[in-house]
Amino acid sequence: MQSKLIQVAGLGFTIAYAAFIVWIYATEPRTFKEVTTSAEVAAGTYEINQEKFNSALSLFRREQFRAARDEWQRADPAQRDARTQFYIAYSFYREGWGRVYFDQELFKQGVEAVNRAIALSPATALTIDDPDLHMHTAAELKAELEQGLERSWSDVNPLKVLRTRK
Amino acid sequence: MTATDTNNRSRNRALVDFVVLPSLFLTVALLGGLRIGAESRTFIFIAPPLVTLLLAVLLMLLLVRGGLLTFHQWVRGDLPPLTNLSHIWMFITIFFASAQAFNSVLPERGLLHWLFSFCFLWTLWNNQFSSFDARRLLRSLAILFGTAFVLKHMLLASLYSPEGGWFKRVAGTLLQGVALGTLDAPAFAPATGYIAFFALALYVAGLILLAFAGETGVITHPVVDEYRQLSAAERLAVREAILDDRRDQPLTSPADD
Repeated sequence: MQSKLIQVAGLGFTIAYAAFIVWIYATEPRTFKEVTTSAEVAAGTYEINQEKFNSALSLFRREQFRAARDEWQRADPAQRDARTQFYIAYSFYREGWGRVYFDQELFKQGVEAVNRAIALSPATALTIDDPDLHMHTAAELKAELEQGLERSWSDVNPLKVLRTRK
Repeated sequence: MTATDTNNRSRNRALVDFVVLPSLFLTVALLGGLRIGAESRTFIFIAPPLVTLLLAVLLMLLLVRGGLLTFHQWVRGDLPPLTNLSHIWMFITIFFASAQAFNSVLPERGLLHWLFSFCFLWTLWNNQFSSFDARRLLRSLAILFGTAFVLKHMLLASLYSPEGGWFKRVAGTLLQGVALGTLDAPAFAPATGYIAFFALALYVAGLILLAFAGETGVITHPVVDEYRQLSAAERLAVREAILDDRRDQPLTSPADD
């Protein structure tokens, strides 16, 4: 009877261990901290660091976009929070926006971030109620970023210098 | 032998077969693909390349031929389904541990990756046609993995280390003007070598444990073991040769002396 118990327990334990190994190779964490973060995400207990998020928001409002992004990345290391990813995308938009031309590299990264934000909130359209922002939905931000990446004849229109940043 | 001894033996056997061995082989599967970046000092997980799966298949065949994996005894119609399932699961863990053991000693890319792979394939393919018993096979595998470990984690790691290891200096002196560009390989932190050593030691220890776990307690002469590995036709030839030898011997009786 005891042998049977050992057999069942051994099978259960080793299958769980094998699943852990497959998960490790699939997620490829780079540090022990990333292992714990990924485990929290998998267990559904993951939360962003609110303090870092707020500090990033104040940097964003002071137009220190790179510093803000660094803080947001620290606040959401697993990139699992739609709101944080939306703000990261917005910081790429604001930094990359120019009266004469848009920084294509920053806009591309902005599209990647906003796509992450959209993917993280598939059930409802992501809306951010922040009075400092001119675009409140992820769809609006994505459209604006994608428009900035497109090349058209309107790019040579001299009147575009009059446009405003959102 | 008392009933308690029998119970203990059965419990220990179950513990080794269903907990220790699969866990050990799974640890090898985990560590075999783990590297530590030379500059970032972060984990790099390298999934087993396709060639390591092929090498693992050849090695499994060799383990079966060498009598280390007695598949026909471990998975039988008269055993309970759960026991058969546990044994099949253990074979799966051995397969992936073997693939990852190769992964840990194969250079990650470039010409050396294919050179090492070819050497392994050649050795394992040749061994398929050799006569092996479990002990000889274990010794052979320990030497095979040991040599590959020394080549990759000592000689090549020294050759490609950013600080310039002793082998790099020797090679630099011997091969002045010869470019090593075609033998490109990524540099890893020294911890990678320690992890690979630990993984290989665990793998070989697991195989040794498997050999002991498979022993039924009856010790046979190596000649008998080798005889059992022969084909039916070869066994017949051996039996006839023994009988012929006996017939050739003159019949003597104690009275003749």
